[in-house]
Amino acid sequence: MRPFIKALAAEMIKQHKNYFHSKMIYVSLFVWPFLNFITTYYSFKVFDIGKSKIAYITAENMVVYLLLGYMCMSFFRSLVQSAWNFSFERISGTLELIYLSPVNRAAVLLGNAVSSLFESVFVMLIFSLLVIVMKVEVLIIKILPCITVFFIVTAMAVAWGMFLNSLFLFSRDSDFLFTILEEPMEIFSGVKVPTALFPLWAKAISIIFPLTYAIEAVRRVVLTGSSLYEIREFAVIGIGITVVLFALISVIIKRVESHMRITGNITLF
Amino acid sequence: MIIAEHLKKTYIVKQGKGLFREKQEIQAVRDISLQIEKGKIVGLLGINGAGKTTTIKMLTTLLSPTEGSYFLDDIDGVKYPVEIKKRINMIAGGERMIYWRLTAYENLWYYGQIYNVSNNVLKERIDTLLKLVGLENKKDVPVETFSKGMKQRLQIARGLINDPQYLFLDEPTIGLDAVVSKELRSHIKHLAKEQNKGILITSHYMGEIEELCDYIYIMNDGVLIKKGTVKELTTETFNRKNYVLRLDKHSKEITECICDKLKVVDATVEVKDENDAIYINSRENISMELSRACMEAGLYIREMYEKEPHLEDAIIRLSREVHHEAVY
Ligand SMILES: Nc1ncnc2c1ncn2[C@@H]1O[C@H](COP(=O)(O)OP(=O)(O)OP(=O)(O)O)[C@@H](O)[C@H]1O
Ligand SMILES: [Mg+2]
Repeated sequence: MRPFIKALAAEMIKQHKNYFHSKMIYVSLFVWPFLNFITTYYSFKVFDIGKSKIAYITAENMVVYLLLGYMCMSFFRSLVQSAWNFSFERISGTLELIYLSPVNRAAVLLGNAVSSLFESVFVMLIFSLLVIVMKVEVLIIKILPCITVFFIVTAMAVAWGMFLNSLFLFSRDSDFLFTILEEPMEIFSGVKVPTALFPLWAKAISIIFPLTYAIEAVRRVVLTGSSLYEIREFAVIGIGITVVLFALISVIIKRVESHMRITGNITLF
Repeated sequence: MIIAEHLKKTYIVKQGKGLFREKQEIQAVRDISLQIEKGKIVGLLGINGAGKTTTIKMLTTLLSPTEGSYFLDDIDGVKYPVEIKKRINMIAGGERMIYWRLTAYENLWYYGQIYNVSNNVLKERIDTLLKLVGLENKKDVPVETFSKGMKQRLQIARGLINDPQYLFLDEPTIGLDAVVSKELRSHIKHLAKEQNKGILITSHYMGEIEELCDYIYIMNDGVLIKKGTVKELTTETFNRKNYVLRLDKHSKEITECICDKLKVVDATVEVKDENDAIYINSRENISMELSRACMEAGLYIREMYEKEPHLEDAIIRLSREVHHEAVY
């Protein structure tokens, strides 16, 4: 266990020092979602939200509703973004050296995904402050369910980030996964429009994104004061998704390495 | 001791573009058997594309061999690659393979962590290694400001971070200046002789190989074509003598005249005329006949010497011979 933790910590520190120099990260984590949020907010304002089919959205709490959506998305995105780091490591040849070492591969993947956790928490904090400043009166929060949801969402986000990271190790050509999984994530996870309003086909797509569940749960505990009992379904699904993702990750890690050792593609970039 | 037997590596590459890409097999290594003893430096030579790097990657478990067996101190490297990884390291030449934004110390620290070097040992080891490669006062400077040679020296420190028992060096001195590569060579020697590490090195600089290696394997097109010590290889390949002759006069007729006279002694003699010198290649020792021939023709010898055979010539010659055999 100690080597695992050492490697995890070392990987986090390294990625942090190596990649978070760049201010561009903050642009994509924070500025874009925020601009998006503003435009969405004003385009929604035109309509009469009060009559919407979703019980907990009112004209009053709409802004918070949207903020929560963007907050969750930023959080997920920041963990996924670290997967890009591996493409740099492939080019610089350091990925090969990681594979040359006996280090636990999962520790490196986890460290890499979590390296952006500081940034993510920072982003969440800013969003939360915004929420509080703007509409403290619409919040109906029970502490315990809120904390539970926070932990499950974090676990899901980390698992999702690691999962994409592991796929990214397969080959340099897995960039396309980002275009497949990143953009639709925003559209189909209910960041703006609640998934309950989706047509059936879109609902079907939305269920593959862990973010969908995360956003829904966060909104429930923050806007309607759901109790632990009321969010039990989410808790089960969230933990289930996390477990399944981790199982997939451990399979992929093994596959990736034997694939690399056969094709020698680790040095190709 | 490392014992590798009949290693083989076939790459499958997809050719062309689009959905229906043709698969093509590339036999990078067809049959390699070699041994590396602790405390010994072994050279692996061959022209570009001979399969040296592929062989090293199999020995470092970065590639799995298509066929063959590999044991390191009785550990089965094909079955237990992780056990091998703990005991080895690899250093490749070039500026890549380090984190440019991290300092020298941070780089070494990171690699020390992933090799699970205990923290109190690591601190000391990093200092020792940085001193060893002459970077002790660049410890806290980001690597991106380093010169090529400095990056490469850091690379060498990195390769020693887990105190490996066996070390694989793939063209470690490529692009280094004479002074630095000389230092590096003496260090490699030190690692083998004083610290009893087994070392495999590839290089295109023959002087380096001749100076360092206790034993040499030469490969071409994925197979071993010769092995032996430097001396064995050069004399065996060059059982013929090479002379260089410079006379006070120089012309085509003189060369032909000398050639005719030598043919009487050794029918296989080859005489070549280049620049202002005559190159003679013969099976026998013909220095006596050579000087006599010159005297009889009334020519003064300005310079005459026998050329030491070089490993580089041996490799090129061997590779060419093998190539010819393959063609015919
Ligand atoms: N990942 C790969 N996929 C397909 N073919 C490869 C791969 N790596 C190497 N090869 C091929 O294998 C052969 C041997 O390559 P290798 O790199 O082992 O040669 P080398 O002896 O190290 O050459 P050099 O002196 O140029 O470094 C070459 O024909 C090369 O094209
Ligand atoms: Mg090579």
